[in-house]
Amino acid sequence: MKLTRRQLLKNGLLVGAAPLAMGAAWTSQAGVADAPAQGEISLYGADRSATELGLGLRQKGLTPRYEGRLDPLSLNALPSGTLATGFTDEAGLVLLTSLLAGRGRILALGRHAADADQLVSHRGPLAGPLVAEGSSWQAALGREYGRLALTGRAGRHARQFRRPADATGTASELSFLIRL
Amino acid sequence: MSTSERILPKGVAAADFDAALARFREILGADSVLTDSDQLAPYTKIMMAGDDDDYIPSAALLPTATEQVQEIVRTCNQYKIPIWTISTGKNLGYGSAAPGETGQVMLDMHRMNRILDVDPEVCTALLEPGVTYQQLYDYIKENDLKLWLDPPAPSAIAGPVGNTLDRGVGYTPYGEHFMFQCGMEVVLANGEVVRTGMGGIENSSSWQVFKWGYGPYIDGLFTQSNYGIVTKMGLWLMPEPPAYWPFLIQYQDPEDIEEIVDVLRPLRISQIIPNAVVIVHTLWDAGTHVTRKTYYEGTDSIPREAIERIKADEGIGEWNVYAALYGTPEQIEVNWKIVEQAFGASGKAKIMYGEEAEKRGGGFSYRSALMKGDMNLQEFGLYNWRGGGGSMWFAPVSQAKGSETKDQTALAQRILGKYGFDYVAEYIVGWRDMHHVIDLLYNRQDPEETQRAHDCFAELIDEFAKRGYGLYRTNTEFMEQVAGTFGEPLREVHRTLKKALDPNGILSPGKSGIRL
Repeated sequence: MKLTRRQLLKNGLLVGAAPLAMGAAWTSQAGVADAPAQGEISLYGADRSATELGLGLRQKGLTPRYEGRLDPLSLNALPSGTLATGFTDEAGLVLLTSLLAGRGRILALGRHAADADQLVSHRGPLAGPLVAEGSSWQAALGREYGRLALTGRAGRHARQFRRPADATGTASELSFLIRL
Repeated sequence: MSTSERILPKGVAAADFDAALARFREILGADSVLTDSDQLAPYTKIMMAGDDDDYIPSAALLPTATEQVQEIVRTCNQYKIPIWTISTGKNLGYGSAAPGETGQVMLDMHRMNRILDVDPEVCTALLEPGVTYQQLYDYIKENDLKLWLDPPAPSAIAGPVGNTLDRGVGYTPYGEHFMFQCGMEVVLANGEVVRTGMGGIENSSSWQVFKWGYGPYIDGLFTQSNYGIVTKMGLWLMPEPPAYWPFLIQYQDPEDIEEIVDVLRPLRISQIIPNAVVIVHTLWDAGTHVTRKTYYEGTDSIPREAIERIKADEGIGEWNVYAALYGTPEQIEVNWKIVEQAFGASGKAKIMYGEEAEKRGGGFSYRSALMKGDMNLQEFGLYNWRGGGGSMWFAPVSQAKGSETKDQTALAQRILGKYGFDYVAEYIVGWRDMHHVIDLLYNRQDPEETQRAHDCFAELIDEFAKRGYGLYRTNTEFMEQVAGTFGEPLREVHRTLKKALDPNGILSPGKSGIRL
């Protein structure tokens, strides 16, 4: 993952430090940007999957803000409390989870193959398979993530769901739902 | 599957843990004591072939000051709470930010991130453990200091203190990080604070310039160990040289590794080439930016035919040597002639620099950045090579002799091949040693493949040890096994020190195989 200087400057790890005066980079960013509006969620990914995910989120009353391809370091610039979701690759997931330690919450993670979904929720039990009449699995995932984002439940739950093979492709995808 | 039941530290009653948590909240404030499942989830992400259920913390603590760390360990002693310390938590592939075992409380030091001092005259820094390389890099740039850092590959997000404590390496002439460490502040298990080296002298001006202090030198006791919690560390920084000359040498034959090392060794020992040179195999060089399935769909080891296609398509050698010269232009001119002569003698090497090296495939651009201490995250691309989230660094040491390198390469390839994994590897050349770093990449979502990766890693450890090769560092799943290869007398010394310094065994139990 190559980072431009601009991308690096955007992340909270790059806040200039003076001897004896360096505050927590994350903390220093919090509250600087505008707080997220009620129901807003940052949505990452650059293809049809992200679009469909956004559709499902809207059906649950959330307002997705399309951010394009995920640069995990850019999450540091978002205000505390921001909800974020989307798709990324293996490298992005490693970076994302690593950066959230002590800085945010992982509400749910998903691994999606052509005919199965493996989901982990930290917001209580998961609903059934990601299938619905006339809807894509990504939109169903959006509805499920929307529900988990809004629930007050806690506890880790993991399940694997089978579903009819996705005719649009076989590439595996990784999804996430986090709160900063 | 549900794991919503409460995780407690081993042997600690719920009431005692609640009392300890209440005390931690008094010390740190409620927001700095994490117990919710979704807050702890990032501390459960592992990439090694262990069981997820074995690496779940019971809580995480986020101190901002040494005094808080002192109070935390006093509380842990009172309630016999085990804590697992991380600095920035970026020890990816070696245990990441997860505890050593389920139930331990994470002591996450990333909020202790003050740059306490940078002295551009003697080229030193004094840092807290949460300072990242990027943070220090920016400080140096913003203050227009002519100093270079030596980051490891996950540069921007990792930290110099944690990496040095785990005896990590980088790619400049300051690549052996612990060699360039000078002075520590350590919180001991009893809550006392000790400063090593010259730090015990009140108002000492030489804490960051003279390592040895007086009496036994003890800094090494706090690296790869669980004898104390380092809250400050001094480092030596490299002065920016007047000129810098990165270059790439490619060899195409798998057998060439022997020649490369034997040519390199005298150049490294005499400091003609002063930096921590890397000799990168095809699959590592390609794996940072291409995926395996582009060339091979099978689940066994990638075949030679596919490796040859990668070499041809990507412009990558079988072995790719990334090195650099530093100094005045005049020094570099003289040393470059020596390098060209040495590597050119056999006629096998393709020696490149500047635009020609840039145009070749592989990693010249990001390697050039790393060899001058600049930041990038290119090597995260390796996690996309095979996919599935499994990665373990197998890192045996050898002499810098071609015969040993050839032996290690063949042994590693044989064992990895037996288990169906790829040889994704590089050698980092120290002054006289080689760190042979192999990324065992596997699909962690497949239980059978994960078990296979586990068995493969265990066999690598044992078979390398039988030939006299030990690991310089390993992940938390295999610390016990690796400690065993170094022999019982050494382990007994480690245990004796542990009993003396941490009689309740509260600090990172199991780190490097050390526990009561």
